[in-house]
Amino acid sequence: MSLACQNATVPDSPLARWDARYKLAGLFVLAFGVAVLQRPQTVGCALALVLVLTFLAKISARRVLARVGLLLVAVLPFVVVLPFASDHGLELAALIAGRCVTIGLIGLILAATATLPRTLAAAQSLGVPSVLVLVAQLAWRYVFVLLAEARRLRVALQARAFPVRTNAHTYRTIGHVTGALLVRGGERADRVAAAMRCRGFDGTPRGLTPFRATAFDVFALLLVVGGTIALVAWDRL
Amino acid sequence: MIRVTAMTHRFVGGRAALDGVSFTVAAGESVAVVGPNGAGKTTLFLRLCGVLPGVRGEATVANLDPADREHRRKLAATVGVVFQNPDDQLFSPTVLDDVAFGPLNLGLSDIEARDRATEALNAVGLPDHAARVPHQLSGGEKRRAAIATILSMRPGVLLLDEPSMFLDPRGRRELIYLVRDLPGTKLIATHDLGLVLETCPRVLLLDGGKLVADGPTEQVLGNEMLMETHGLEVPYRLRNG
Repeated sequence: MSLACQNATVPDSPLARWDARYKLAGLFVLAFGVAVLQRPQTVGCALALVLVLTFLAKISARRVLARVGLLLVAVLPFVVVLPFASDHGLELAALIAGRCVTIGLIGLILAATATLPRTLAAAQSLGVPSVLVLVAQLAWRYVFVLLAEARRLRVALQARAFPVRTNAHTYRTIGHVTGALLVRGGERADRVAAAMRCRGFDGTPRGLTPFRATAFDVFALLLVVGGTIALVAWDRL
Repeated sequence: MIRVTAMTHRFVGGRAALDGVSFTVAAGESVAVVGPNGAGKTTLFLRLCGVLPGVRGEATVANLDPADREHRRKLAATVGVVFQNPDDQLFSPTVLDDVAFGPLNLGLSDIEARDRATEALNAVGLPDHAARVPHQLSGGEKRRAAIATILSMRPGVLLLDEPSMFLDPRGRRELIYLVRDLPGTKLIATHDLGLVLETCPRVLLLDGGKLVADGPTEQVLGNEMLMETHGLEVPYRLRNG
């Protein structure tokens, strides 16, 4: 299985050590700041800053390039069309591509320097509704179980020489398999709910608090927020 | 500790999953519930822990009636259920979160819940697994972690539903040692008659929702006619003396 969020541990780095709550808040502010930048120069500066952060986060160059490549594919239609659409089209295309890549890399930093459950716990402690966090946690927990079930069903199909073709039989069979997965998922949800109720769950999510902030966390947050404000101010000058 | 009186449970459509089942289990007793598929073992457990609705007066567990809404709230602290599939029981991001889930719901503080979780993980032999992600554990580790989620709540009554399912021989052997050492009153639903012989001195035999036998383990499991009539086999150990 190769989902990026599956990793239970993350490599040690200054960003991995940064308290997840402060990191989430700081990177959210930075992403928001990048989204409102209107000049290619400031966006370029933000991209450089974020690349420094990816270096500090010890994210491999290969992973960064793969993410940048994906993001560039996503903005390709704008980059191709905009230069022909107006006088400032080239500038606008660069702006959109730059913002997109920068914000995408901020997301990569967030994903690569803390486990998803930890980031979700940070989101909860920052005021994101706990029910949303619980749903996200359960989705993260059970996506792997569902994937394993899907794999077993695929093997069962292969074992009976199921031919994948573009015909009604194939579509009908895939429909049945999808239906079976949904039914099993529904039944599992009932069983999980029963297990939660048996352990005293009354609808209010409660969890261990894994956070303890230090001066470094506060300083790093102030640095990122200050840098973002400076960038936006420079952009508006 | 557990008193069941003429318990009946019908599913939608009228099929009786339990039909007039009565028995009592004394405090500290270990009792196995055996029977073929569809005998009503899991339904009995779900009724005892209050997950399935029922009629008042049909059951009490530590003087709490699972059919009573007020009693049901207190039941979680008294009855611990280990479900058939540990993937249904381990729903939190890490093993520690899962084991601390119950104590936190009981109103314990963060520190107390953490202490209880650590103690429970030690008890099941998983002291180094607190930070592990549940879906990455082996089958045996998942089963142990599922038991730890219950032990951390320190219930007086343990209901174990097919505890040896999905386990390899080594995992099963370790589970038998663990189950034998678990404190409190135990009710174990299983097809694994070898496990029953090693962990429970008394057996309840259910078939078609009815209690057809209740007695000492070797006497019930060694009765060839009774076992074959109800879709079971005399365990190898008893067949050969």
